[in-house]
Amino acid sequence: MAELIQILVLGLALGGVYALMGAGLSLVFGVMRIVNLAHPSLIMAGAYVAYWAFRLLGADPLATLPAAAAILAATGVILYRLVFEREARSAKYSEMTVLLTFALAMVVEGGLGGAFTNTQRVTSPDYATDAFFIGSVFIPKGQLYAGLVSLALIGSLALFLKFSRFGYAIRATTQNREAAELLGVNVNFVGLVSFAIGVGLAGAAGSLVSFVFSFFPAKHWEWIAVLMSLVVLGGMGSILGTVLAAFILSTVAAYVGFFFGATWSTLTFFVALFVVLLVRPQGIFGEKPELA
Amino acid sequence: MMSVQNTSDILQQRRAYNESLAAAADTVRAPWFPLTVLAVLLAFPALQFVGNYNYVLHLLLYTACYVVMASGWNILGGFAGYISLGHNVFFAVGGYFAGMIFARYGISTIALAPLAGLAAGALGYLIGLITLRVRGPSFIISSLALVMIFRILFENWDFVGGAAGVSLKANDLPVQWAKLPYYYAFVVMAAFAVWASYRIRHSKFGLGLRAISKDEIKSESAGIDTRFYKVLAFAISAFFVGMAGAVWGEYLTYIRPNIFLVILISVNMVLMCILGGKGTIAGPVIGAILIVAFNEFFVATLGASEINILATGLIMMLALMFFPLGIVGTLAKHRKLPRVLNWD
Repeated sequence: MAELIQILVLGLALGGVYALMGAGLSLVFGVMRIVNLAHPSLIMAGAYVAYWAFRLLGADPLATLPAAAAILAATGVILYRLVFEREARSAKYSEMTVLLTFALAMVVEGGLGGAFTNTQRVTSPDYATDAFFIGSVFIPKGQLYAGLVSLALIGSLALFLKFSRFGYAIRATTQNREAAELLGVNVNFVGLVSFAIGVGLAGAAGSLVSFVFSFFPAKHWEWIAVLMSLVVLGGMGSILGTVLAAFILSTVAAYVGFFFGATWSTLTFFVALFVVLLVRPQGIFGEKPELA
Repeated sequence: MMSVQNTSDILQQRRAYNESLAAAADTVRAPWFPLTVLAVLLAFPALQFVGNYNYVLHLLLYTACYVVMASGWNILGGFAGYISLGHNVFFAVGGYFAGMIFARYGISTIALAPLAGLAAGALGYLIGLITLRVRGPSFIISSLALVMIFRILFENWDFVGGAAGVSLKANDLPVQWAKLPYYYAFVVMAAFAVWASYRIRHSKFGLGLRAISKDEIKSESAGIDTRFYKVLAFAISAFFVGMAGAVWGEYLTYIRPNIFLVILISVNMVLMCILGGKGTIAGPVIGAILIVAFNEFFVATLGASEINILATGLIMMLALMFFPLGIVGTLAKHRKLPRVLNWD
């Protein structure tokens, strides 16, 4: 029994990190209709920012999180201006952007691999290997902190979207791009800002990932399908759905790993992706089956 | 009676018009060109009598292998417009199917290739029934997930050797001739793939696929059985990729998940078609030649596979942004396509 609770705790703690990894992806899809396959590789880039800050300056990954987020957000602005802005007129926009972001993921992977080699890296602040104990159940501090920080970030994103004027414009654009434009929303600027926020969140997630998982540039391929399964299960574009899906799937994966072995726990995400596409392509909270 | 007379008149006139169109099309085509290329390729190994051209043979064979795969991919991705990033799954299935039979019973994979293609095609049919229910981004994502699933399955399936794979016996021909069986197998398969693409493009089936890529809902209401058409296209394209995989395993003398199920292989298929011209017959061939030459150049000059990934990604981005129709498509659009490249 204690073991089962232990696994639940570990699954939920990881779920927090996955939630942040998926949130940016979901935001970008909601506003821009871009399925950003490069998102995991940008998370990887964020992890490298945290890694080198830790390695060279001894800086805590949690302290350098804002810096990683800012650097990646700036990258996002540049990418948007150079690549995605001009694609908005393309006829097969959605499909085109999937291929483009896929190619971008290869560029980021190749760049990181060329610069930093494919060695496994991990940052090791003190809390990464420490744990709290409640009775016989332990909660690893690293995953707990990462989960809490990511929930705080997602919470503030939700508040920003809900109550700020600009968040209002973002939600309007998500719901109906043309109508928002007619009402005077500068949809291109909204797209730019949400893309920057999305990629910035990837940078933040990268800082957290840097002490939760070990990483190397080519690892982002594993994350692509994992994150896609969260976003698809949650309903493309629904941030709440993504967070919920992250907790559900990472818990299920933890149990699958416990009962059948670690290899099959990753398979949970991929199979879930298939089943969702089959049974309910619009996901839990999705409303746009025609885009699915 | 009168009306029947009229109808047959109209039909006759239409047939005459179609024939004049076909005759006009024939004057802008040059069928002798691909046939000459094929003849040269078939005669090329004679050079082995006067020197050692094994490296050139390898490059030609490698290119032909990718011509088979890219032409196969093109049937689904180019004609029907369903972009799959997971077609290396069928490369692996073909490779493992023929490779395992070869390892156990010693039957040459070249003889097994059509069978391996059918196995991959059958699997493609089943997978297509599931994944072709969604389209656009969701389809692309599902194809990526497919690669991940098969990678895990093959790496943990002890019967096929898990992650270590199975080594296959090399043939005992003298080194000068050792590559020849595979070379001819790939050249013949490539010619067959190109010919089959041509026949499919000019059939009712091909017309239906092209209608689906333009507007699936309208094609459905025009009476095309879109579901059957696209699943069949998926199966046919899997057939070609599986056939290439069958011989590729024996050529390398081992089958292992990390030679088949790496993302770069499926990216190469997609990239070749986009660069050469998606949905054209000559496009995948030109794309395969360019990408193989380009990869070879990068590996020879820079060596590192990371740089290769970076460069492949960069070319793909640039091609998508500035050159979405590919070489053949762009030339044809500006009516500058040379006759020798008009294989459509």
